[in-house]
Amino acid sequence: MIINGQFNIGHICTRKQCELGRSEKVAMRWISQHMEQTDYTFAELDRQTNRFANVLAHLGFAPGDIFFTFLPKMPEQFFAFLGTLKLQAIAGTLFSNFGEEALLDRLGDSKAKGIITKKSFLKKIGRIRDQLPNLRYVIVVDIDQHQSDDILSYDRLMAEASDHFTVASTSADTPSVLHYTSGSTGKPKGVQHVHGSILSQNMTAREILQLSEDDVYWCTADQGWVTGTSYGIIGPWSIGATQVHFGGGYNAEHWFDILQREKITVWYSAPTALRMLLKEEPELFARCDLSSLRHIFSVGEPLNPEVIHWARRTLNRDIYDTWFQTETGAIMIANRPGIEVRPGSMGKPAPGIEAAIIADDGSPVPDGEQGNLCVRPGWPSMFVTYLNNDEVYRQKFRGGYYYSGDTAYRDTEGYFWFMGRSDDVINTAGHLVSPFEVESALLEIPEIAESGVIGAPDELLFEKVVAYIALHDNCEYSPQLELKIRLHVSNKASTIATPQEIFVVDKIPKNKSGKIMRRVLKARYLGTDAGDLSTMEE
Amino acid sequence: MDTMTSLNDIFREVFDDDTIEITRATTADDVDGWDSLSHTNLIVAVEMAYNVRFNLKDTRALKDVGELIDLIDRKLAEKG
Repeated sequence: MIINGQFNIGHICTRKQCELGRSEKVAMRWISQHMEQTDYTFAELDRQTNRFANVLAHLGFAPGDIFFTFLPKMPEQFFAFLGTLKLQAIAGTLFSNFGEEALLDRLGDSKAKGIITKKSFLKKIGRIRDQLPNLRYVIVVDIDQHQSDDILSYDRLMAEASDHFTVASTSADTPSVLHYTSGSTGKPKGVQHVHGSILSQNMTAREILQLSEDDVYWCTADQGWVTGTSYGIIGPWSIGATQVHFGGGYNAEHWFDILQREKITVWYSAPTALRMLLKEEPELFARCDLSSLRHIFSVGEPLNPEVIHWARRTLNRDIYDTWFQTETGAIMIANRPGIEVRPGSMGKPAPGIEAAIIADDGSPVPDGEQGNLCVRPGWPSMFVTYLNNDEVYRQKFRGGYYYSGDTAYRDTEGYFWFMGRSDDVINTAGHLVSPFEVESALLEIPEIAESGVIGAPDELLFEKVVAYIALHDNCEYSPQLELKIRLHVSNKASTIATPQEIFVVDKIPKNKSGKIMRRVLKARYLGTDAGDLSTMEE
Repeated sequence: MDTMTSLNDIFREVFDDDTIEITRATTADDVDGWDSLSHTNLIVAVEMAYNVRFNLKDTRALKDVGELIDLIDRKLAEKG
């Protein structure tokens, strides 16, 4: 795959595929939300991404500058992402349901120089623009003419750009993709990857997802998250596979229509979506011809055994659960064809990956006992830093291992079993939500004096966001305030951060240093023992 | 103000987008940010604005804005 040291992801996913004789092969079959279909060959993908690289170059972007996409799933997202990488600028992606606070945190911390978005999202950017002095250009995909010197029409820029672009030789350690991930404290952290990560994404797409150039592959993940870039762009196109991308949201009838009509051979989705399918009428699946579908994979949260049993019964297929993180950049542990699926387990480490269960003191934990899920560093897609936060990055590595923040155990036959997080981060529908971010958004509401946020078990979402709030004197809880809270969190942070349950309490439990004791809230919610309360503030 | 007009204002508030112009044919795929979680926000906002209560089955089955309007009008008629 790598020739003359050219690791450039944009080049390998487009021009390289043309050089391998795939110019006229369909790279992307785009299906709009209204089920209209448009095909893009690898030659077209190459031209469109070249144009975008030239657009950025013309605007003065240089290698190392940071450019974000803030779009729902649409073809322009793929062109902009790969075009940015061709220029050796850093491509960040933002979930399209982010609110303005979430945008400000990420664009501000990264000092992003440009962003591509839609007209309907301009309002959010406009409200924070004066706090983003480094943001030079906003490119808008659905306006015909430039609005100003710095709010520019994508169509006009692309029409004026050449479709020839020579990608400079790009070493493996050149910064490439930037995703922000949530922690339990502080602001989200920018996870920086490098172009060499394509080695891991290519290898795992072949070895775990079992992809080849003959496959028609569909990854339902949004490009705002790491699965959407590692396995919705890079891995499959580095192999030359045809990818189907659908612009609509969850719709069981549309999804099964796509699986059948497009003869999808490998499908990568998420447990929440699969659990929603499980609730659909069985007739929907019975009338579908899924004979082309070889494999189904899942990622994002642990896959319940009942979903695997449902798939065996209803679809006559296994679903292979996979585990990785934004920081790992590629699949680390997985169930996969060729090894027996243990329903509920994460599977076994990918080829070349050494995973281990380590105690807090650094000692190995015997099989069957819970500990920190760790990975021996050195895989090509390992993140290289948290942007502007190298100290926290270094803290993730101890005793020769990367500490994932997840807890798990390994059984005697080498299967890993997810147990939970070692911090307070909430995994809701496969998205990590920082309780700190939600608490901060809640505190912006004038009626709220204190807030504490936890994740609680949920049948559909795996975990749901639960908020505890204490109100200011003279403020009363009401349905109007509940709606205000919901909309504020949804529009400032993200829809995924919206509390599903809200409890009003007199005060939020804190320790003597003023830190919120989320474990006390969690115990209160679950009706379990809160443990040692000696450090709690009176 | 008819239901369509007042509902349009609710959509603009819920989805934080004052350019939204709904029609009876509008679906979740036509409104940026209309996912299953914001759908709950929308239903809560509609219930509050019209002082009606929906059951989960009704709101899950909605295919487009037209069906939502019909549901609202039906609930308002039941109230008398």
